[in-house]
Amino acid sequence: MKGQFDAIMWTLWLPLIGSLVQALFGKWVIGRLGTASGRRVMGFLAVLPVFAAFGVGVWATAKLASIEPDARVATVTLFDWIRIQGLRVPMEFRVDTLSLTMVLIVTGVGALIHLYATGYMGEERDYPRFFTYMNLFIVLMLVLVLAGNLAVMFIGWEGVGLCSYLLIGFWYRDLSNARAANKAFIVNRIGDWGMTLGMFLLVVLTVGNWDKLSLQSDRLLSFDTIFANMHSIFGGHPVMTTAIALLLFVGACGKSAQFPLYFWLPDAMAGPTPVSALIHAATMVTAGVFMVNRMHVVFEYSPVASAVMAAIGAFTAFFAALIAFGQTDIKRVLAYSTVSQLGFMFVACGAGVYWAGIFHVTTHAFFKALLFLGAGAVIYAMAHEQDMRSYGRLWKYLPITAATMFVAYLAISGVPGLSGYYSKEAILGGALAGEHATIGTVELGVYSGWLALFVAMLTAWYMTRLTWLTFFGKTERWRSLPAPEEQDHSEAHETHGHEEHGPDEHGFFYSAEEMAAREAEEGHEEHHGLDGSHAPREAPPSMTIPLIILAACSVGAGFYLEQGDKFKTWLYPSDLPVLEHVREHPNVLFRFLGFAVNLPALSIFAAACGIFCGVLIYSRGLPRREGWNLAGWGRFRRAARRQFGYDDALMSAAVDGGREVGQAIWLNFDAGIIDGAVNGIARLFGLLGSGLRRAQTGLVRSYALLMLIGGVALIGWMAYALWRFGGGQ
Amino acid sequence: MNQPTGFGLLSGVVFLPIVGALLVALIPKAQVAAIRYAALIASVATFGLSVVLLHGFSSSTFHFQWVEFVPWIARAGIHYRVGVDGFSIWLVLLTTFLSFISVWFSFYIKDRVKEYMLFMLALETAMLGVFVSLDMIVFYTFFEFSLIPMYFLIAIWGGNRRAYASLKFFLFTFAGSIFMLLGMIVLFVLNWRLTGTPSFSILDIQSAVASGKLWAGSPHLEPWVFWAFAVAFLVKCPAFPFHTWLPDAHVEAPTAGSVILAGVLLKMGTYGFLRFCLPLFPDTLPSQVPILMLLAVIGIIYGAVVAAVQPDLKKLVAYSSVAHMGFVMLGIFSLNHAGILGGSFQQLSHGVSTGALFLLVGLIYERRHTREFKDFGGLKAQMPIFAAIFLIIMLSSAGLPGTNGFVGEFLALLGAAETCFNRLYGLDPAFVVIAGGGVILAAVYLLYMFQQVFYGPNTNPDNKRLKDLKPWEVVMAGSLVVLVFWGGLFPNTFIGPMEASATATRLMATLPAGQRPVWSDPSQEVSAAGNQSQLVSLGDGRLGAGAIIATTDVHVVWQEEHPPEEVVNHLGAR
Repeated sequence: MKGQFDAIMWTLWLPLIGSLVQALFGKWVIGRLGTASGRRVMGFLAVLPVFAAFGVGVWATAKLASIEPDARVATVTLFDWIRIQGLRVPMEFRVDTLSLTMVLIVTGVGALIHLYATGYMGEERDYPRFFTYMNLFIVLMLVLVLAGNLAVMFIGWEGVGLCSYLLIGFWYRDLSNARAANKAFIVNRIGDWGMTLGMFLLVVLTVGNWDKLSLQSDRLLSFDTIFANMHSIFGGHPVMTTAIALLLFVGACGKSAQFPLYFWLPDAMAGPTPVSALIHAATMVTAGVFMVNRMHVVFEYSPVASAVMAAIGAFTAFFAALIAFGQTDIKRVLAYSTVSQLGFMFVACGAGVYWAGIFHVTTHAFFKALLFLGAGAVIYAMAHEQDMRSYGRLWKYLPITAATMFVAYLAISGVPGLSGYYSKEAILGGALAGEHATIGTVELGVYSGWLALFVAMLTAWYMTRLTWLTFFGKTERWRSLPAPEEQDHSEAHETHGHEEHGPDEHGFFYSAEEMAAREAEEGHEEHHGLDGSHAPREAPPSMTIPLIILAACSVGAGFYLEQGDKFKTWLYPSDLPVLEHVREHPNVLFRFLGFAVNLPALSIFAAACGIFCGVLIYSRGLPRREGWNLAGWGRFRRAARRQFGYDDALMSAAVDGGREVGQAIWLNFDAGIIDGAVNGIARLFGLLGSGLRRAQTGLVRSYALLMLIGGVALIGWMAYALWRFGGGQ
Repeated sequence: MNQPTGFGLLSGVVFLPIVGALLVALIPKAQVAAIRYAALIASVATFGLSVVLLHGFSSSTFHFQWVEFVPWIARAGIHYRVGVDGFSIWLVLLTTFLSFISVWFSFYIKDRVKEYMLFMLALETAMLGVFVSLDMIVFYTFFEFSLIPMYFLIAIWGGNRRAYASLKFFLFTFAGSIFMLLGMIVLFVLNWRLTGTPSFSILDIQSAVASGKLWAGSPHLEPWVFWAFAVAFLVKCPAFPFHTWLPDAHVEAPTAGSVILAGVLLKMGTYGFLRFCLPLFPDTLPSQVPILMLLAVIGIIYGAVVAAVQPDLKKLVAYSSVAHMGFVMLGIFSLNHAGILGGSFQQLSHGVSTGALFLLVGLIYERRHTREFKDFGGLKAQMPIFAAIFLIIMLSSAGLPGTNGFVGEFLALLGAAETCFNRLYGLDPAFVVIAGGGVILAAVYLLYMFQQVFYGPNTNPDNKRLKDLKPWEVVMAGSLVVLVFWGGLFPNTFIGPMEASATATRLMATLPAGQRPVWSDPSQEVSAAGNQSQLVSLGDGRLGAGAIIATTDVHVVWQEEHPPEEVVNHLGAR
């Protein structure tokens, strides 16, 4: 076995090299070859390693598939990362069916999105910086999914958060982007807090059960140690196991944007659209689902934590779907839809059908990446306007984008035959049939299943809204935009006063000539806005080819992977260790007018219902109740637009409240009480010693002098003593 | 151990800077360049010599190495005795390295260069002396002597409120260490009464403590003496509520002063905990641990919350030091292997990353003569290399995995979790849950800082003229970036040599009298061959009773030698 899969490391090394090349040589190459061809070369160098990594992934998958199903695990160890007595954390990577599935998604979808980005970001001045971050993201995401222990996984876990932070804030000149980036990182950190505590508790529990372990290894955080010892670690400690599971789930909530930590993800749309597609839809945000799959034994031992997970997943799915109805920004609708779909995945994990969670991760990666990239193509065609209210009838201008996005729309809506239908069916089936996610006698998992079924209807509805508002309808609404509000031009007329500067002896500053040269080089950015005469144009092939490939996957992947439980037996070839065989297919849900209603019938009905309602409302274009005038909106929709006040309340409490608390503590306690006491004592001594003091200003100096004399005297005395008694024993 | 050895390499490292200072003193005042390079050469040579020390250092023993013993005042039991163990060897290297960086940066100093360099080099000797002294009086002398050059660095080259800040710095730390001197004298007297020979040697005292005889006669004194030491180190650390000197001192100090202050001087406090508070007071320690852990947790949260509202770069970093040093204390007073190693690693990584942050703040301060957030914004486009280095250092300070900041925090929190979740010493899991929240807050204030300086539009005309870092500045800051990744990816380089000392110190603090390791007995080793283990119950009656974990009794397995693979091994003493 040993060494068979060592080459998997190339999936990491290649993008890492790519990232370094972009960072170190990007600017130089573009400067050398000129903007156009330089960017083409760097774009090629950015896409190549990801495609190559995908190739390595395919090779490894094929190789793994040729091994006996029960022996499909290999570990690649590089070196000992942290090693202390009693705890060893090697830099180890685990090649198994779960990790390779994720590797294929990350590199495959990632490569397509990289290709797309070479076109989408073509006008970007910081071209190499963008691909530095993107390639780095691929590396760290692969570290996350390939990790052989929780600590190495945590490198990737926080690392992808960092890349997300950097890419959301990519256009950093706009402070609101920077704030969105901070929000993403900090909210993720809350999740990470839970995850680290979960890790610590796991270590404590393992050490506490040391004598019972069947595999006594100091690699306490390694998955193989945990799996081998799961009965002795988790078996007799339901409370501790639930605590660990819930803490890990806090981590998953942060990364996978579940309630109450979902609110960073919509703001993350401030990043460039390929980033939204790659990181904030297809890969990084599914890391929580992946982690729950990786650690599924903990959740199997804890029905309570599973029930909480299912309930939170279902609620998040519902809540985000409602909010989506109030959004007019096309990317924000998709963002909430992502949050909602992630909720579905957690419903599956809570119900114990872990494979269905990953199944939905896979299909969702295809159709959601496609939706985002399609939205990007629309935004690209519409002069960076993201508001759906100024779209309409775009299918005429963007045939490829419209066709591919329509496929994705059908897939996410759960239309039979397309990929989304199969994965959603697996989730709902598992939830409605499952007995795992229960607290006492309350079958939270089943309720979550019903709620999720309802959300499936809502999904079809709001996605219909998005599709019709964007591509269909009779009017091309950008041709009759309402007059823009008074724009504040004060910033543009900023005075360039030539101030007098002192001599610049260190060469810290550019001289006047250099400044002029720099300004000339930067050039003038023409910002072409959307106006009535705008003629949308289809995107270049670098952008449409990924759309077409993803559309093909969105159609076929579900059907292909579903056949004969192919995907399930690939991920979980034998029964689960604790739950063994969870029920996955409820036979008859209920009887209605004498007919036995089964799940497929009901979910097809839900999808049809949603689509029907949507088409009914939006086929005639933009309803007045959702128009430019917010005052005309319904109460529900206005509340949904503001996320029902959740985000505002939380942010003002955290940011403003936090600032006030900090200020109060600092000014009152630090400066007031402690320093007040110190200064008071000093003043007391000052009064006592005022007779000795020559002048107020001399205070410091005389103290210092005293100290110096004291110090010198001490040393002098010691030196004298040394000379006097030197060597005398 | 009491054979005179004469002065050797270790003394060479300690006193080379002051010799360099004497040479600098000979150079005429006007020859500024000569002064600068002489000082730089002295600090580089010291760093080089300290690397030789490290090269000859053996990781397998907890005993002091490079020991030098020069008899001095025999009647008072004061001798010149120095040596390094796993903790101090790294602090010596940290000191020599950061001193070298500081002297290099100080090429920007224009006023009274000669005096400045004299003080810098004198300060280096004082700091090195603290970390290598094995005699309490010698330790105390260096400990106090380090105040004087620092005081002058702040008072002469500082900012507007330098008089207030330098005085405050001086009085706080001086007041704290007076108690320490008293404590030392008590230890001396008790030991004298016990053995009949006067000795200020830490080794002799520890040997008397380890046998249990030192405190046997006067157990009521032990907590008092413990706190006499602890207060001195809490002020130095600085721990809440003794921290208010730090922000003032940092804001007013010149850049190199801040680097040294944050990078090295604060470590004297945590080093003091490791050298005195843990080995010398094993009987009272269990009942004092909750108080110290509480101060650590308060420091972590308090420092972070207050850092988040600072309007000034340096103040923000200063308060962040309070939070970071809280993690060091948290780890050390977990009294287990992971915690002590985590705390000791965290103090090194804090030295590197906070030192580097102050250096970077200094680089921008030299250019713009301001540190207020409102004067900055949008520098990322203007100074991309500076921004990239700043980002990496900031992330290391935030504890991102892969950087040095993570390893220390992770191990310290893991150690604290072990202690707290088992409810040892009456601690509660809430301690570690809240302390873990400090990691979230670290992201809050650090990202805020980065946003204020580097993001947003670049509107200030003065900032628009800024050039990026110069090559030598990139090399200087880049060397710290290398350490950040080295510490983050290959932490065993640093942890390995510390392990034996950490184990010994832990056992000195937790084993019952008679079984504790003794520094002055060279025949002892904590890593002898064989799998010898000992059952020990710690001094707290509450052990096990309220433990979350359903272990019937809490015990320590004293594990020898690192197991080759998959061998029984516990996480160390609990």
